[in-house]
Amino acid sequence: MADAPTPYERFIQGILPENPVYRQLLGLCPTLAVTNGLQAAMTMAGAVAFVLFCANIITSLIRDLLKPHLRIVIFTLTIATFVTIADRFLAAYMYQMSKTLGPYIPLIIVNCLIICRCEVCASKQSVVHAGMDAMGQSIGFAIALGSIAAVREILGTGMLFGIRVLPAVWPDWVVMVLPPGAFLTLGLLLGAVNWYGMQKQDA
Amino acid sequence: MKPIEPMEPMKTSTLDRIRNNYIVQAWLVLILAICFGGSLASIQLALGPLIEANKINETLQKVPEMILGAEKSQKLSEKQQLVIEPQTIEVSKHNRKVFYNVFKANYPNGRPAGWVAKAIGQGYADKIEILVGMDHKLKKITGLFVLDQKETPGLGNKIITNEWRKQFITKKTTTPLSVTKEGAKAAHEIDAITGATISSRAVCSIINATIKDLRDPLLNRAN
Amino acid sequence: MSYIVDILLIAVGAALINNFVLYYFVGICPFIGVSRKVDMAFGMGCAVTFVISIAAFLSWTITTYILKPGAPLSKWMAGLFVSPEMAANIDLTILCYIVYIFAISSSVQFVEMYVRKFFPVLYKSFGVFLPLITTNCAILFACLTIMSNVAGVDNPADAWDLGRSLTLAVFGGIGFTIAIVIMAGIREELELCDIPKPLEGAAITFVVAGILALAFMGFTGVDSGLKKALTPKTSETVQVQVIHTDRNLASSANYIF
Repeated sequence: MADAPTPYERFIQGILPENPVYRQLLGLCPTLAVTNGLQAAMTMAGAVAFVLFCANIITSLIRDLLKPHLRIVIFTLTIATFVTIADRFLAAYMYQMSKTLGPYIPLIIVNCLIICRCEVCASKQSVVHAGMDAMGQSIGFAIALGSIAAVREILGTGMLFGIRVLPAVWPDWVVMVLPPGAFLTLGLLLGAVNWYGMQKQDA
Repeated sequence: MKPIEPMEPMKTSTLDRIRNNYIVQAWLVLILAICFGGSLASIQLALGPLIEANKINETLQKVPEMILGAEKSQKLSEKQQLVIEPQTIEVSKHNRKVFYNVFKANYPNGRPAGWVAKAIGQGYADKIEILVGMDHKLKKITGLFVLDQKETPGLGNKIITNEWRKQFITKKTTTPLSVTKEGAKAAHEIDAITGATISSRAVCSIINATIKDLRDPLLNRAN
Repeated sequence: MSYIVDILLIAVGAALINNFVLYYFVGICPFIGVSRKVDMAFGMGCAVTFVISIAAFLSWTITTYILKPGAPLSKWMAGLFVSPEMAANIDLTILCYIVYIFAISSSVQFVEMYVRKFFPVLYKSFGVFLPLITTNCAILFACLTIMSNVAGVDNPADAWDLGRSLTLAVFGGIGFTIAIVIMAGIREELELCDIPKPLEGAAITFVVAGILALAFMGFTGVDSGLKKALTPKTSETVQVQVIHTDRNLASSANYIF
């Protein structure tokens, strides 16, 4: 049996080799829904990072007390609590952003990414491993969300973070900020990442 | 050959152990539930009022701008701030009760400044929520703000822009507003957004309906 | 009559115009994972529709009677411990996410046990999907939409009743089924095509889904057109009933800022 990954390996794996969106295809709901603009995408990535980190830490602390058939219940309870906390904080301190993100913050509860991380890493390894894993996966998620949001926002509105970056002659491809643009961007970027991975394998 | 002896029934101690096991298994869930419930209750106590204030301020902060215009409302000093009184007007239309959230604004010396009404209506894609500011005699429109809309980005979305909303200021409320594509000439005409006629028409019909519904109740209330 | 128009508009909206998969992006995981064959996709769609209606019923009931501000059951329970005025302000909406996710997982468990016992043939064909449905965003999304229309409305007369909530749930599930079956049909044909290697698998599915979403965008505006066509033009009689100050905004306190 292979040795369990060290914390550092967990951290590095989460960023690109086991990227939650591009490689594991987890957490696709928020990836498509909030990547209209870079600001919303980064807020969502921050919320997911908070929930993932806290859930991993708590699960890792109680990993010896978990009974096999109750663990999913405990994961769900922990994740739902932290998502509620994150949602209330956003509504209190970033009200406009909370209205933009809408129902997608509570949908973090059913985000397969967090349950998968609790199951695979946090319930089996120590707090340090769990924390580094959470940070790595969060950075990977933020990179994925950021790349898709950047493409959609620049092509769709000519702006980035609300600041105009393309010249005014650019006819805004409005379809990119609409649902079809989300699917197309994700599909083509996924193809690009696959192609890059295949090039590296052949080399 | 010895006959097979029937087995002894399971000892009670084993049964007790199984019963205990269920409780032991549940204790972790229960303790976690209590801890999390406590933390959520404290979050609610701490952040609940802030969230409520956010929701209310979202509309209240816009009221002076709706009545006095953007520049004048920003120049108001502390002592000159408008006194705002929220009210709910219930109107019966088509055998259905429709509620309007209305804000009455007075100057600090008691002189009435105007009214701001929040109205919702069907747009092209989904509901459009607007704030309409009117002078206190309900003779003309003093401001328009779009609180919530889900129109097409780049087309119907332009109803939130200042250039389009500016057209409504100083329009008289006596004639219902209508939307033209050629270029507004008459006093009650509004220029439609190119490619978003339906969204423009929706905003106008919401304003017309609001003024028609609220004119009598508010004028009665003012006296 | 206007109730039926309302129901019809919610149904058309949930199934076609604001399709759960192609507009709100919920339920993407099974959409990508299960849409290889048409019969599997149809089974998944039916399972999701079934579970979503049960979950919607549970969540509407719990929200209306326990969770929303001033709900009857919690007001009565709190009235046993504190004074009635304090009990009237009880607001349990902070627990709603936890309650919904547990309602969904328990309803999935019950449905699975029921189907396994009474319809073993049916269980063989789509029983394996049922545990996956717990993490299906579409069900939680339906519950959240119902909650925002029951507990999040400004005035209580606009709160959704059980009929509207169930319509949203059932037709949302039907819309999900339509989208996933169309995608399965397309993917069955794509198997015979020559797709570039980087795009094989999930990537080409997303590109096809993008084109599908573009097609479904053609339905925008159908609900406002239907509403205009179905609402009879009556002569407007506006009667003023009651004028009262808004209780919730701190009893007519003046806001000076």
